Amino acid sequence: MTRDRWERLKPLFHGALDQPAARRAEWLAAACPEDPSLQREALALLESHDGAADFLEHPPALDAAALDELSSSPPGQIGPYVVRGELGRGGMGIVYLAEDIRLGRTVALKALPVPAANDSGRRERLRREARAAAALTHPGIAVVYALEEIDGDLYIATEHVRGRTLRAELDEGTLGPLRALDTLIDVVSALCAAHEAGIVHRDLKPENILRTEDGRTKILDFGIAHVTDDTLTQLTAAGAILGTPAYMAPEQLAGAAVDFRADIYAVGVLLVEMATGRHPFAGSEPPGTPLPPILREIAERCLARQPGERFGSTREVLDALVHARDALTSGDEAAAVDSSRATPALRFTPRWWWEFHQGAAALVYGVMAMPAWTARHLIGGTPGRMLFLVTVAAIIVSASLRLHLWFTSRFYPQELRWVRARTRRFIGAADGVFSLALLSAGLLVGDARASLATLLIAVAIGTAVVCLVVEPVTERAAFRSWSHRSSRPA
Amino acid sequence: MSQTEPRSDRATRCLEQITRGDQHAVQELMPLVYDELRRIAARYIGRERPGQTLQATALVNEAFVRLVGEKARGFENRAHFVAIAALSMRQILVQRARARRAAKRGGAPERVTLDDGLLPSSAVPIDVLALDEALTRLGEVDPVQARIVELRYFGGLTIEETAQALRSSPATVKREWAMARAWLKRELGG
Repeated sequence: MTRDRWERLKPLFHGALDQPAARRAEWLAAACPEDPSLQREALALLESHDGAADFLEHPPALDAAALDELSSSPPGQIGPYVVRGELGRGGMGIVYLAEDIRLGRTVALKALPVPAANDSGRRERLRREARAAAALTHPGIAVVYALEEIDGDLYIATEHVRGRTLRAELDEGTLGPLRALDTLIDVVSALCAAHEAGIVHRDLKPENILRTEDGRTKILDFGIAHVTDDTLTQLTAAGAILGTPAYMAPEQLAGAAVDFRADIYAVGVLLVEMATGRHPFAGSEPPGTPLPPILREIAERCLARQPGERFGSTREVLDALVHARDALTSGDEAAAVDSSRATPALRFTPRWWWEFHQGAAALVYGVMAMPAWTARHLIGGTPGRMLFLVTVAAIIVSASLRLHLWFTSRFYPQELRWVRARTRRFIGAADGVFSLALLSAGLLVGDARASLATLLIAVAIGTAVVCLVVEPVTERAAFRSWSHRSSRPA
Repeated sequence: MSQTEPRSDRATRCLEQITRGDQHAVQELMPLVYDELRRIAARYIGRERPGQTLQATALVNEAFVRLVGEKARGFENRAHFVAIAALSMRQILVQRARARRAAKRGGAPERVTLDDGLLPSSAVPIDVLALDEALTRLGEVDPVQARIVELRYFGGLTIEETAQALRSSPATVKREWAMARAWLKRELGG
C-alpha cells in the first residue's frame, strides 16, 4: 500500500462507514467507479471493522514474568546512588549494588515494596526501626547506613557484605554439629547485641545470614523484616497459599505481637537445620545426621510453642551454645547435658581451666609488683630503677591481656579466636621479659636479702615453666577442636 | 542536564517545554519515563502473586503520578506524558516478545502465562510482534493513525485524551481509530 493509495482509500472507508451496511457496496461503486480493486479493499476493511469487536480496546496486561523482564535492567541512578548491578531479587523487591556518590562507598540498596512506601504509619515505624538498626554496630550485623526517601520511594542502604548466604552453604549439605555450633554462636552473639539494644530481627533465616570471605557471619536486614509482615498476615488470614514460613514462631504466624523470643525460635530452627541438614518439622523426609542430645535439648527449648517456655534471654541461648560446644569438643557430652541443667559444679572443662589459668596468671603477676618494688631499693641506683620499670611494664602488658582473654572467653566467646591470635605474641614477649627481669633482680639482690632473692628467682623459673610447658597444654586441651574440628566425629 | 535536579522537577520541566512545542524535551523525558516504568515494575516484583496481572496502563498512570504528580496536573501535560509512556510501553512489550520468541526457538520450555490468552480482558490473544510490525507499516502510510493506536492501546488513553494529545478533535480521532483498527485487524489475520 502506497501513501497515495491510502489517502484515496481513507475517504472511501469513512464515507461508506456512514452508510447503512447494505448500501455500502453500491455507495463505493458510485464513489470510485474507476478502481474496482480499491473498492474491494475498502469493503474488506469495512468488513474487518464490523468484526473487530473489542480488538485493541483493552490495553495489554503484564504478568509477573513480564514485570520481571521489564525491570531486569537496573536504573542507572537512584538519587545519590549510582547503580552498578543487581545483587538479588525476591519477596522484598530488588537489591541493587550501588555506589553512594556523596561518600564514594559501595552499598547494598534495597527498594522497599510499594505498600510500605505508601502507608505513612508504616513509613514512620520503618524510619524508627531503621534509626535503631543504624545504631547497632556489631561485627556480626550488616550496618544500616541510611533509610532514603528518593522521589517518594523508600530505600534502605546497607553495608555491602561479600560472601555466601547460609542457604547456599546448606544447599551443599549439612555443616555438622560442630561447625553449626561455631556458626550459630557467631550469629547468636550478634543477636544478643541487637536484642540488648531492643531490636528484634523477625525474619532470621539462612537467606539472611552471610558468611563473609574471612569466615565470619553477618546478619542482614535487621529491623526491616516487618515491612513484609503485614502483607503476610493478611495473606494468611485470607487463606492464600504461601511459601513455607518455616522460620517463623507460632505467635508470629498467628499475627500476634512478637519480641526477641521469636528470633530465639528461629535460632532453634537454624540449629537443627544446620547441624542435621534437615528442617525440624520436615516430617516424612529421611532422617539426616542425628542431633547430639545436648543440642536437641537446646533446640527444644528454642522451639517451644509458648514464648514463655523458651530461653529467658538471648544471652542464655549463647551460654548454652558455647557450653555445648565445649562439651562436644571435649567429648564429655554426658556430663555436659547434666551441667546444662544449671549445676555449675560440674563445669571444669578444659576451657574452664584455661580461663582459670589466665586469671591466676594475671593475679600472680599483679602480686609480684610488691617484691619487685622492694628489690628495687635493695639494688638501688639506675639498674634498680630500670629493672623495676621493665618488670612493671611486663606485668601490665601480660596481666591486662590475660584478663582481657578471660573476659572475652566468658562474655564474647565468638571473638576469642581472633583475640587470642592478636594477643599471643605480646603475652609471650611480656612473659619472657618478666621472667628475665625477675631472674636478674633475684641475682642482683643476692645475699642482701636471701629470702627475697629466692622468691624472685623461684617465680621467674615458675613463670618460664608455666609459659613454656603448662600453658601450651592447657591451650591445646581447651581449643583442640579449632584445629582438628573437621576430623572429629560428631 | 544537571544531576542535582530531582527527577520529578526534570519531568515537569520537560512536560512544560513539550507543551510549548519543544520536541527536544521529548528526547529528555523519554529515558526518565522509561526508567520510571522499570522502577515501578521492580517494585511490583515479589508483591505480585501468581495469577495476578497488572494492566500496562496502570504502570503508566503510576509513573505519571510519581514523576509529575501534583506539579503538572494539566490535562494536556498528562496526555503528553502518556504519549511518551505509551511509546516506552510499546518498546518494552516488543522487546519482551522478541526475547520470548528467541527463547522458544532456542528450545527453552514455553512459559504459559495469563496474557497468552486466558485473560478475560483480551479474549483474542494479541501477537505483540505482529502488531508492532503492522503498526510500523501503518506509520509509513499514515503516521497519525499509528500514533492514535499507540496512545489508545499502549497508553490507555480515551478518545478525548487522545484528541487532546494530538491537538485534534474527538470525532476525527474516532474515525481514524476505527480505520486503523480495521486495517490492523486484517493485517493480523483477524
